[in-house]
Amino acid sequence: MIRFSGITKAYDGLTVIKNLDLTITEGEFCVLIGASGSGKSTILKMINRLEEHSSGEIRFAGAEIRSFRPELIRRRMGYAIQSVGLFPHWTIEDNIATVPRLCGWDEARIDQRITDLLKLLDMDASRFRKAYPHQLSGGQQQRIGVARALSADPDVLLMDEPFGALDPITRDGLQTEIRRIHGETGKTIVFVTHDMDEALKLATRIVVLDKGEIVQAATPRELLNAPANEFVREFLGKDDFGLKLLLVEHVRDHMRRGEAASSAETISGADNLRNALSRLLALKQDHLCVVDQAGQPVGTLHLADIVA
Amino acid sequence: MREASPGADLRAGRALRNFGSALAAYALLLAALPHSRPLFARLFPELDRPLYEQQGFLQLLAAHAGLVAASSACAVVIGLGAGIFVTRPSGREFRKLAELLTAMGQTFPPVAVLALSVPTVGFGFWPAFAALVLYGILPICANTIAGLDGTPPAARQAGEGLGMTPFGLLTKIELPLAAPVILAGIRTSVTINIGTAAIASTVGAVSLGSPIIIGLNGNNTAYVLQGAVLVTGLALVVDLGFEAVMSRLQRWRRA
Repeated sequence: MIRFSGITKAYDGLTVIKNLDLTITEGEFCVLIGASGSGKSTILKMINRLEEHSSGEIRFAGAEIRSFRPELIRRRMGYAIQSVGLFPHWTIEDNIATVPRLCGWDEARIDQRITDLLKLLDMDASRFRKAYPHQLSGGQQQRIGVARALSADPDVLLMDEPFGALDPITRDGLQTEIRRIHGETGKTIVFVTHDMDEALKLATRIVVLDKGEIVQAATPRELLNAPANEFVREFLGKDDFGLKLLLVEHVRDHMRRGEAASSAETISGADNLRNALSRLLALKQDHLCVVDQAGQPVGTLHLADIVA
Repeated sequence: MREASPGADLRAGRALRNFGSALAAYALLLAALPHSRPLFARLFPELDRPLYEQQGFLQLLAAHAGLVAASSACAVVIGLGAGIFVTRPSGREFRKLAELLTAMGQTFPPVAVLALSVPTVGFGFWPAFAALVLYGILPICANTIAGLDGTPPAARQAGEGLGMTPFGLLTKIELPLAAPVILAGIRTSVTINIGTAAIASTVGAVSLGSPIIIGLNGNNTAYVLQGAVLVTGLALVVDLGFEAVMSRLQRWRRA
């Protein structure tokens, strides 16, 4: 879907991206991770031409991106940023309608789309449609930011540290949400972060960057099992490395299916093992009741199952 | 939570009512003044002619308002245009120059601008018009630059990233967000121009300043008073008009 070949980017003689080759396939949740100055944001912005590459070729949907007008390519790519950037003088519904209006959709279709998106992001339409951005909390604003990015049903969703400024609880909620949206819509997502936990939780593939070069590109599990070098190992953390391993494992893959639980405490099968372990420790219990999306019990998860 | 809050509507309504009352009071003043000879005769018994009657007050007001409206309209077009131009990528090099000229211009007394324009365009309406335009540009240009600078960078970045054209970004996001600051500049400019237009009578333009200038020359304090009341009243009415427009414009902020 997006292919970088031999991409170099230099500002005033300073090379920030060196000879980058990267292919992002359709439906992938690709997380670019690196320290500040690693070039991760620059790579993202080159995709929608907010930054121009110095040499090499970036292809999108089969054509070099410079063959598109910048505005037109951007309307086909959702864009969400850390500072959200909702238009403060527009209501929430007008904010969400930004790209559909630019694309010339008729108002009835836009109206339906706003309703659907607010529902997708679990926002009460009657309460928020006519509200202004400053009446919303940071987390609610970013939900609208994501809804706006998705509004014209883009081919790709570009997200530049979208949850970086949120408190841990809100961030966790939105991470779960974006994973669910990725699952439901099958959209290609390119996501920039410097938070390894976030990358491990969300990505189908993680691209670790350092000084404008790819150090390793692998699935979260591969990355944990076989870090390419000391840099990646350090990025994964030393003390809580074991806990990071639990992040990529899901409860449903480790539970005792069909077993009836004597505990009333429940956990979703889609949750990760680290959250399960945390729950068990906090509750001082040795097992949890696993429930499916509808909230029906489907099995149990014992403390021993996490280590095994 | 839903629409603009009642508080904001209330404030906007109050501003509009204030403007309406001021306008009505001014109309009343204008109607009463030609019949006020006994009052001024009593106040200034030493004067032979205590009431200005060379031209009708309505005629003076029309000339004054016309002069201010024409020059302010010109100043808005030029000041807004210059402010937008120097904040675009293509005009960025001229920004320092614009800021320097604006800062210099504001230290220049309006009377001096009037005096300087006479040798170039002669006496009458045109030197006054030229001086008012020049002087009126400055606050508008300065506030346009400040207002556009003050638009949230995140909103601009998002607008660009979502695929707005530079023109769309300017007209739908930047100008509406900068509007209160720009309008404040226009308000300052117009208010100063109403005052300066009175002085413009020194270079031969007909305005509400005419009774003031003639009164000062002929030691007729009554004339000065009549002109001054009408100029001040006009400035006040126009200022309240701006207040009403601005409180409407900013309703989303208080919602």
